[in-house]
Amino acid sequence: MQEEEIIAGLRAHDRKTTEYLYEKYSRALFAVISRIISDQDIAEEVFHDAFIKITRKIDSYEESKGRLYTWMANICRNSAIDKLRSKEISKSGKTNTIDDFVYGLESQTGTQEFVDGIGVKELMDRLNPDQKFIIEYIYFKGYTHAEISEEFDIPLGTVKSRIRAALQVLKKNIDSI
Amino acid sequence: MNIQDYIESGKLELFLLGELNEREREEVLTLAKTYPEIQQELDALEEAMFAFDQATGPKPSNKVKDKIFASLDNEFQKEEKKTIEFKPTAPNQVKLGPWRGLAAAASLIAVLASAAAIFFASKFYDTEEKFTALLQDQQVMADNLNQVKLQYEETDSRLDRLVSGDFRRVEMKGEALPMQKDAKVDVFWDQKAQEVFVAVNNLNSLSSEFDYQLWAIGKDGPVGIGLVNPGEKFTLQQMQAVAEAGAFAITIEPKGGSKAPTLNKLVVLGEVVA
Repeated sequence: MQEEEIIAGLRAHDRKTTEYLYEKYSRALFAVISRIISDQDIAEEVFHDAFIKITRKIDSYEESKGRLYTWMANICRNSAIDKLRSKEISKSGKTNTIDDFVYGLESQTGTQEFVDGIGVKELMDRLNPDQKFIIEYIYFKGYTHAEISEEFDIPLGTVKSRIRAALQVLKKNIDSI
Repeated sequence: MNIQDYIESGKLELFLLGELNEREREEVLTLAKTYPEIQQELDALEEAMFAFDQATGPKPSNKVKDKIFASLDNEFQKEEKKTIEFKPTAPNQVKLGPWRGLAAAASLIAVLASAAAIFFASKFYDTEEKFTALLQDQQVMADNLNQVKLQYEETDSRLDRLVSGDFRRVEMKGEALPMQKDAKVDVFWDQKAQEVFVAVNNLNSLSSEFDYQLWAIGKDGPVGIGLVNPGEKFTLQQMQAVAEAGAFAITIEPKGGSKAPTLNKLVVLGEVVA
């Protein structure tokens, strides 16, 4: 299914299209959330709400403003960050780190997850400490670049170029995982 | 414009992470339309992010999938349901005597009346709630206005002092010091009237355990003359009186300030030019 077809189908509240969307993107979108929220039940609750929000807000999505996946991923990311900052989670005070996350993947049963976990770990090892730090705070702790700059006293420009460098490493190595 | 520099700036990554403001987003979109290299980079980055997301997560459980589609089910089927509702429910005709009809009518009226009572009661309650909320909003607005008025009056009187007084400006900089190279704070000092104001130009924020403290350094050594708020940029903050000083400096001190400056935490320093 092409992206335009998916969008048209979602706007028509078509069940088949919604199922297709789920099959194609649920894993990636859920990862966006579960990287930030370590509690599986809460992560699934946030994912449920975010997915429904996506189907309901599809009318306000503008194709000219960016691709569908980015739009959906940002809805998920923002929902996860909102949840992370809500009272419910900040009380338990636990946030993810890359190591916890990779360990979590490895300890799960199911070979698929196991293999992927190893791949992610190797991918992370290709990042230098500065880049790993950036990926950890952006993707696993839900920080914005401005917050990283503020909290760790790193100039905004440096944060930006480290995000760029880290994503370039991921981009170059993504095929190997 | 150098396209490669733009691509290297990291802006495209922030675009995809949803961290740009509206104006910057428009800029990226316009440039992507004009320069295919930028669009290509955006596409490649988006694909990499998707692949990374796809690889870093376990699948959500089937339980969630079922729940999502159960929630959405109502939306898929809404139209069909409406048409069903119009079909009359199977008429179950039992002959009733006239008194039975009256009793049925009476109980129907009673039910309707109760329903109406509940409906109006809840409406009344809603309206009252809205009214209370509005009152609260108004109170907040009035408070804000008062605060702004006070701030304005304060600023105005400081400006009056600054214009009528005999102030000299002492620039304090962090350039030569190890703490904050780009720190810059100006002192305005009227020696005759012994009045001192500071205006923060650039100063990093501090954690809540520390304060910036301003020192007037004279013949008898440094004297603490007040705490400087790094958040209030380009406004005049009034400090304590000083009659004699050869230099001004700011150090970082524990919350509330110290009696003597912590010299290894000297942030900015400026000499009074005679």
